[in-house]
Amino acid sequence: MANTESELMLRMHGIKKSFGENEVLKGIDLTVARGEVLAIIGPSGSGKSTLLRCINRLEEIDGGSIEIEGEFLAVTDEEGHAAYAGAKKCRELLSRMGMVFQQFNLFPHMTVLENLLEAPIHVKGLAREEVLPVARELLNKVGLTGKEKAYPSELSGGQQQRVAIARALAMKPDIMLFDEPTSALDPELTGEVLKTMKELAAERMTMVVVTHEMAFAREAASHVIFMEGGHIVEQGAPESFFSNPKEGRTRAFLQNML
Amino acid sequence: MDKLLDTVLQMLEGSQITLEIFCITLVLALPLGMLVALGRLSPVRPLSRLLELYIWLMRGTPLMLQLLFVYFALPMVGVRLPDIAAALLAFTLNYAAYFAEIFRAGISAVPKGQYEAAKTLGMSYPLTMRRVIFPQVFRMVLPPVSNETINLVKDTSLVYILAMNDLLRVARTIVQREFDMTPFLIAAVFYLVMTAVLTWGFKKLEAHYGKY
Ligand SMILES: Nc1ncnc2c1ncn2[C@@H]1O[C@H](COP(=O)(O)OP(=O)(O)O)[C@@H](O)[C@H]1O
Ligand SMILES: [Mg+2]
Repeated sequence: MANTESELMLRMHGIKKSFGENEVLKGIDLTVARGEVLAIIGPSGSGKSTLLRCINRLEEIDGGSIEIEGEFLAVTDEEGHAAYAGAKKCRELLSRMGMVFQQFNLFPHMTVLENLLEAPIHVKGLAREEVLPVARELLNKVGLTGKEKAYPSELSGGQQQRVAIARALAMKPDIMLFDEPTSALDPELTGEVLKTMKELAAERMTMVVVTHEMAFAREAASHVIFMEGGHIVEQGAPESFFSNPKEGRTRAFLQNML
Repeated sequence: MDKLLDTVLQMLEGSQITLEIFCITLVLALPLGMLVALGRLSPVRPLSRLLELYIWLMRGTPLMLQLLFVYFALPMVGVRLPDIAAALLAFTLNYAAYFAEIFRAGISAVPKGQYEAAKTLGMSYPLTMRRVIFPQVFRMVLPPVSNETINLVKDTSLVYILAMNDLLRVARTIVQREFDMTPFLIAAVFYLVMTAVLTWGFKKLEAHYGKY
């Protein structure tokens, strides 16, 4: 299927980002079409998290532009200053994205169900009765029916991360961002989270996933980006990317991951 | 027996001043402490530094000195407050500083990820504070706030030097008049009852909010 304009969910162009003197992103271009899963891989410190966090403005870019479904979240003017859309527009665009963190970041003082209901009720202003079936449906989807009343601390890491995915989905985002969602998990628990993510991908959810799980990237991604030192070193469809990497650095990295 | 009853009744009256200072100080110092904590944590440097100075002064000098200052020094520069107001001013300013440090530690202890998660869910800053941060801070600060509150019960006896008829002063007056130590014992019981009730109350709160 061709990537027609209307299908473009995310476009980032010339993204630059520094922390003080440390230039972390040195001009990143990428696009994600509806239903695509973009996997971002690369060594630690290469700027993957920063790039992901720039998408939903957890970090602000210094240069470049970000387009969400054809609307500008941030643009850079002639003088090279990045400017964000107005507060209202930003809120609206950012509300189309959900994020899942390495450390889950569930609200520990709320039960599983309350974690899911929180934003739909208090941000969207929906009625509890209206959100409840949606929340239950989502818990069922991530395989956690029966855990409604549990507190996050009573769950395993894998269960917590699945709650976090459900919590993000409860806001009905168009794009889901994942920052190493399985890196904080014991190896035997990564499978259940990856399975949930694969199911999401199969439902054509648009996803950007920073990951160290090469098998997942290979199987679930529609496009893979390899980053190093704030640059995109190589990218492509997973089959060719993994079986026939062109760059020496990509090969060295993939070798290391095995 | 009648005499004992009479003594207890007089002391009950004294305990009213004690309770009044305790309650009003708590009601004023807790929210003030929260505001000071937020100010301390704000990115507005001058505000943060000013509040740091305030906290340093309040925690670095004896409460007794602060009481004397408000009571005796302020009138010299023309600020004349009623006795009870003077005492409450000193107590509130002092305790707000301690509470501020407790709250600041509590707020700082909430992981950054909580703010980020709230933000990615579209929650505004006030909503994040109200629904996500404060409930967690509340639970964390309960034990230290409980300690300070129990200290406050005992610190109220400092108004003794301001010639206010609090529990301790009433006890001493009777002791001096009657050459009988019983009022001191009764005073001890009064303080113990107050701290016991508080300890119990905070335990209940901790149990209630400690379920996660
Ligand atoms: N908030 C921050 N302040 C300063 N430096 C940061 C911050 N976040 C990330 N960095 C730096 O940016 C670089 C890239 O980090 P990151 O994007 O987390 O890499 P990755 O996710 O690929 O491991 C690192 O050198 C890191 O130290
Ligand atoms: Mg990272």
